[in-house]
Parts: sequence; structure tokens; C-alpha cells
Amino acid sequence: MIIQCSDLERALRTPELMPDARAHAEHCENCRRELYLWAEMSRLAPSLHEEWESPSLWQRIRSALAAEQPRRARVPVWRWGLAAAAAIILAVVLLQPWHSRPAGRDLLTQNALDEVLRAETTYAQSIDKLAALAGPGLQQSPSPLAAAYREKLLLLDSAIADLKTSAENNRYNTYLRTELASLYQEKQKTLQEWLQHAKTN
Amino acid sequence: MGTVQLALMDRAFAADYNSEADLLAACRRQDIRAFEHLYHSYGGRLKSIAYHIVGNRQDAEDAVQEAFLKAYRGIRGFSGQSSIGTWLCRIVINACYDVTRKRRLETEAPPDQPAPKEQLPLRVALADAMRRINPRHRMVFLLFEVEGLRHSEIASILEIPEGTSKSWLFEAKKELKRLLTEGRS
Repeated sequence: MIIQCSDLERALRTPELMPDARAHAEHCENCRRELYLWAEMSRLAPSLHEEWESPSLWQRIRSALAAEQPRRARVPVWRWGLAAAAAIILAVVLLQPWHSRPAGRDLLTQNALDEVLRAETTYAQSIDKLAALAGPGLQQSPSPLAAAYREKLLLLDSAIADLKTSAENNRYNTYLRTELASLYQEKQKTLQEWLQHAKTN
Repeated sequence: MGTVQLALMDRAFAADYNSEADLLAACRRQDIRAFEHLYHSYGGRLKSIAYHIVGNRQDAEDAVQEAFLKAYRGIRGFSGQSSIGTWLCRIVINACYDVTRKRRLETEAPPDQPAPKEQLPLRVALADAMRRINPRHRMVFLLFEVEGLRHSEIASILEIPEGTSKSWLFEAKKELKRLLTEGRS
């Protein structure tokens, strides 16, 4: 097709006409300039992509997302009271203190508790040693991963402290003891993961 | 202390995702690590798009942050018909409009950019001309020519037919060519 200057716009819309448009432009200074500019815009456009470092942006986003996460509602005090009352009634019904029972049953419970406490203390001490091993590297590392581990460990420590207080007030509560043990396990796992990561990097 | 929070943090240490479906599933569980993955994959492009709309880096970063927050809140409503990247582009563009509206209310409108001086290097002149063309046409030019998206993706982001995307790109280039020619003649 023979292209004239007035056909140029149509040619730019229709890729099939472009070879003819280029052929025309070889002899037409105006159209050559137009085609050059058209191509230059596409060539230069990717260089307008704006790139810059934003070292704190992900941390800001992460904090905002973490703040959005659903929080476990605090149990009202009256519910704890109700639960405690129910537990006492259940214990009284099951143990039937008005009936005679073999001597040493309480002692057995006390012994079991002492044993759990001893194991718990030893476990906590070994985790403290692990924490001391991970500590310097973990505290000094500026990486986002280290920050995430630090945050997780802080949360775990706070949870352990809360649970220990509750367990002190309910010494025979097996559930609390189990929960505490699982938090210790979680802390151990987290520390081991970090140490493994530190070792491989 | 939330067990849920702990569980979420634990999952946040999970490794990579084998497919976009895996990533999407993790996002739907509101796994922050999955969103971090999205940030590392698309953050650069999102910042650049935002920068070209709002005009400065600080507001662009605010818009990207807002977009991630919106994505996090709305991920369960995302049908998955487009890619997550495309979906994020749409959200960031809307966040930019919000930021721009807010800035307009806070401050007086800035004076128009001066017309390009003669014989400016073409790249600078193009950047300047881009700010002065029809915003819809500019958006298509930005997404197609600057950020390298396909017309099908642009159509999905801007919720327009693909043909319209092509037509707006042509109009954008026509306007730009006019402005560049004026500035350089």
C-alpha cells in the first residue's frame, strides 16, 4: 500500500501498515521524525521506572499487618471464678473427702508435682543455656529474619511469664503445666531454628 | 498472649511457595510471611507505579503500605481470577488516589509543572510530558510502556476492555508526541 503523510496515524494504529509507513518515511523528513519520536517514547519509557531503597518499608507494613491480626479476647475475671468454682465442685465430687481413702494419696500428688517442677526447672535451665548460645548473634543481627525471631522469642517469654504466674496460683492444674511445657518446647524449637539458620549462613 | 498469634508467627517461618495457588492459600490464611513474599516480588513495581501517580517517594511508600493493608484485609474476598500481582496493582492505584485526595484536602494544589524547555533531554521531557497528559491515558502508558504489563493485565487492573487499553495507549503516545514536539520545535 502506498502511504502518504496523512496515513501515518492510521499506520501507527495498524502494525501491518508499519513497513509501508517506514518505506514512505525514508523519503519524507517529517514522517521520519514522527516515527523516530514514536519509537523513542517506547524505548525510553522503561527508564522512567522509579527504583529506590526503602529499608524500613517492609517493617512498617509488617507492623501494620501484625496489628491487624485477630487477638485472643481476654477472659473476663468472672469466668475464671466460675471455672474455679466448677473445678472445686468437680474435685469434691470425685475425691469424696468425706469417705476414707488410702493414706498417702495427697502425698503422691505432691510427689508428682515436685517431680514435674524439678523437670520443668531443669528444662528451663537447658533452654536458658540455648538462649545464651543464640543471644549475641540474634541480638546483633540487623536482618528482618532476626527481628522476626527476636519478636517471637519476646512473645514466648511474655507468654511463659504469664503462664508461670497462673501456674503458681493453680499448682495442681495439669492443663496449665502442659501449656507451660508446650511453650518451653516452642521456645526451644525457635532457638534451635535460629541457631541452625545462623550456622548455615 | 495469643496462641493464634504464636501459630501465625510460626507459620511465618515457613519456606517458599511452590505455586501462585500455594502463595494465595497462605495469603488467605493471613500468613504475614506470604505477604512478605508478595512485597519482595511486587514491591518495586508497586512503588514505581505509586510514585508516578502521587509524585513523590514518601507518599508512594504510604500508598504501598496502605495497599498491603487493604490486600491483607480483603484477601479472602479475592476471587483469584486475575493474578495476585495484577490485583495488588489495582489496589495500589486506588490507594494512590486516596493519598492524592487526602493531600489535596491538606494543602493547596501545587502549581502546574512548567512547560518543558527546548532541547531538554528526551527522557526528562518525556517524564515531564507524562505528567501533563490525560490521566487515564497516562495510566495505560505507565503500566504498558514503563512497567511492562500486558494489555490483558492492564484491562484487568483498570477494569476496561483490552481494546480500550490499546486505544488509550495510542492516545497517550499521540498526546506525548504532541507535547514533545511542541517542547522541542
